[in-house]
Amino acid sequence: MHLPRGVRARLAGALVLLVAVTAAVLGVGATIFVDARLHQQTLADAANQATFDLTVIVPGRQLPDHPTQDDIARSGLIDTFRQRGVETVVDLGDGTTVKSNDELEGLLQRLPADVTARVGRGELAYAWLDIAGVPRLVVGGLAPGGGPAFYFVRKVDAIQAAIDQLRLALLIGSLVLVGLALLTARILARGILAPVEKAGETAERIERGDLLARVPVTSHDEFGTWADRFNRMADTLSETIRRLERAQHQNRRFVADVSHELRTPLTALVAEASIVGEHLDGLPPESRRAAEMLVGDVGRLRTLVEELMELSRFDADAETVALERVDLGKLIETVRSTRSPKARFAPPAEPVVVDADPRRLERILGNFLDNAREHAADADVEIAVESRDDDIVIAVSDRGPGVPPDRLEMIFDRFTKIDPSRSGGSSGLGLAIAAEHAALMGGYLQAMNREDGGLRLELVLPRDVAGTLRGSDGTAT
Amino acid sequence: MDARILLVEDDPSIREVTAIGLRNAGFTVETADDGRAGIERFEAADFDLVLLDVMLPRLDGLEVARAIRKRSTVPIVMLTARADTIDVVVGLEAGADDYVRKPFEVPELVARVRAALRRVGQRDDDAASDLRLGPLVIDLAGRTVRREDGEGEIPLTRTEFDLLVDLARHPGQVLARDTLLDRIWGYDYLGDSRLVDVAVGRLRAKIEADPASPELILTVRGAGYKAAR
Repeated sequence: MHLPRGVRARLAGALVLLVAVTAAVLGVGATIFVDARLHQQTLADAANQATFDLTVIVPGRQLPDHPTQDDIARSGLIDTFRQRGVETVVDLGDGTTVKSNDELEGLLQRLPADVTARVGRGELAYAWLDIAGVPRLVVGGLAPGGGPAFYFVRKVDAIQAAIDQLRLALLIGSLVLVGLALLTARILARGILAPVEKAGETAERIERGDLLARVPVTSHDEFGTWADRFNRMADTLSETIRRLERAQHQNRRFVADVSHELRTPLTALVAEASIVGEHLDGLPPESRRAAEMLVGDVGRLRTLVEELMELSRFDADAETVALERVDLGKLIETVRSTRSPKARFAPPAEPVVVDADPRRLERILGNFLDNAREHAADADVEIAVESRDDDIVIAVSDRGPGVPPDRLEMIFDRFTKIDPSRSGGSSGLGLAIAAEHAALMGGYLQAMNREDGGLRLELVLPRDVAGTLRGSDGTAT
Repeated sequence: MDARILLVEDDPSIREVTAIGLRNAGFTVETADDGRAGIERFEAADFDLVLLDVMLPRLDGLEVARAIRKRSTVPIVMLTARADTIDVVVGLEAGADDYVRKPFEVPELVARVRAALRRVGQRDDDAASDLRLGPLVIDLAGRTVRREDGEGEIPLTRTEFDLLVDLARHPGQVLARDTLLDRIWGYDYLGDSRLVDVAVGRLRAKIEADPASPELILTVRGAGYKAAR
């Protein structure tokens, strides 16, 4: 589940970045443009007004050629301009000035030199200045006829306010856009990822064995094509698996049928051989040995057919487990004394009781002991019960030659004969059968060579067999 | 021993060699090769024991066992091809007393037949008194069981009767399945404990008021059975 989060985050990141960069570029551009336009507009208005004032209003007041401060005051010009929101500084040319407002003290000194110079030459000139913390536009010009220089000062903080408002609007707009981008990213991601997640679920179902699971093909885009291809692959796979299963089923069916068909003649053979075996002494010498061999070989054939039938029952899943409380010490002692009296077994001090199927335990232990008898004929055999974590281990150890390490893993495979020259009447199925019985009880077998020589076979059973078999039809009586 | 045995088996080789083996052991053997013939033979003469193959043409061994059980307590030993639960339990529930798994060696079969016959021959020495288990009155001499409230005789097979007597003689004492197998069926060791379970089930069905929650014959988990005190 790592991928979807990654894709979602990357998609959202990319969209937000794109929107943020776009908004920033547009915002800065718009701010600069509007700022310039507003200044330009304000300046044009101020220049027109100044030209009008200097050429119409000022001459209308009939000032003398070299007016004094009193002349200016009497003319009422300052008040006229102030009523329009324009402050005025008049440079009388003799080093004195008339100011409409004390804030304007020293204005002329603060103006750039080229502004006063150009005003002196009779041109209009302007400058942007901060006075008393407020941005202002100063436009200067000479009264007609070489009169005093008028500097008109107006506040332009409205420009800044407009720009600030614009910036705020742009910021809010950008935030809305980023939000929209996030939302879009989510919707897009869901659209892209939903089929991916569906495909993931499908793959998981197939993994769990539901070979019929398919990815829904809901679109004609690249993903639809992919889903179609995936489904075709799943079709091919499940078809192959079905074919293999059918072949395996037929194979097992065949083995089951063959061993079943063999049973009737085998039953006759076993009964016949048992009668012949009782009367060997009465047979003429020419045929006695052959009759003896016949009896032995019928026994071998019987073992083989019965073990094949036992295995084919496992293959057909025809086996059920009947759990009972089993005292392992008692059960092992019974099997030991009847199947392999020479084996040694020290019963555990405390009774070890598990829920298990006693007949299966007897079968496994019996097959372990048969194996020891065949491969370590006269060697010591030892049976032990041990506790290991959550498991109970029943181990049969012999002092025989052991098993070559490369064959150790195959020892529980069908028809594996550890040492063909020693296997005697063994079918090579005994340990495979034991492994099936163990698996039915939720346990398993393992084999290892002992350090001091010999083979050790272990049956590992979960202490809580019933819990391990949860959901099976195991019953306790 | 001149006991008469009816052998019902469809495969000619198995039928013939089994008959030879039983005759060698001193039994008188009659044979039948399918289920109907088996029932006809059984009705035509007296037999001390019936050996019955499970898979028979015309009428299978289970049907034959049920038919025989309706009119006789003669010991029935089934010959089963499979020793798994279905065949064994179904066979025992059809009224068989014991089973021998195919393939078998003749001495093994003869031993099972002798054990089944021996039980029939056994009569209790102290048959004078009746045994009681709850409302049941067990007449050892007459080998009958009835309820004390006077209702008629409860029909039990030999195996069921022997099992009931063995348990009723030791009220409150737990008898392990192996012990019962040894005492009732004559197995020396490692018999099939399902024989006991199925027989107890059939017995309960006949004597308990509610077989699902038995009050006379109780199961002791992991140990065996005991009769109520």
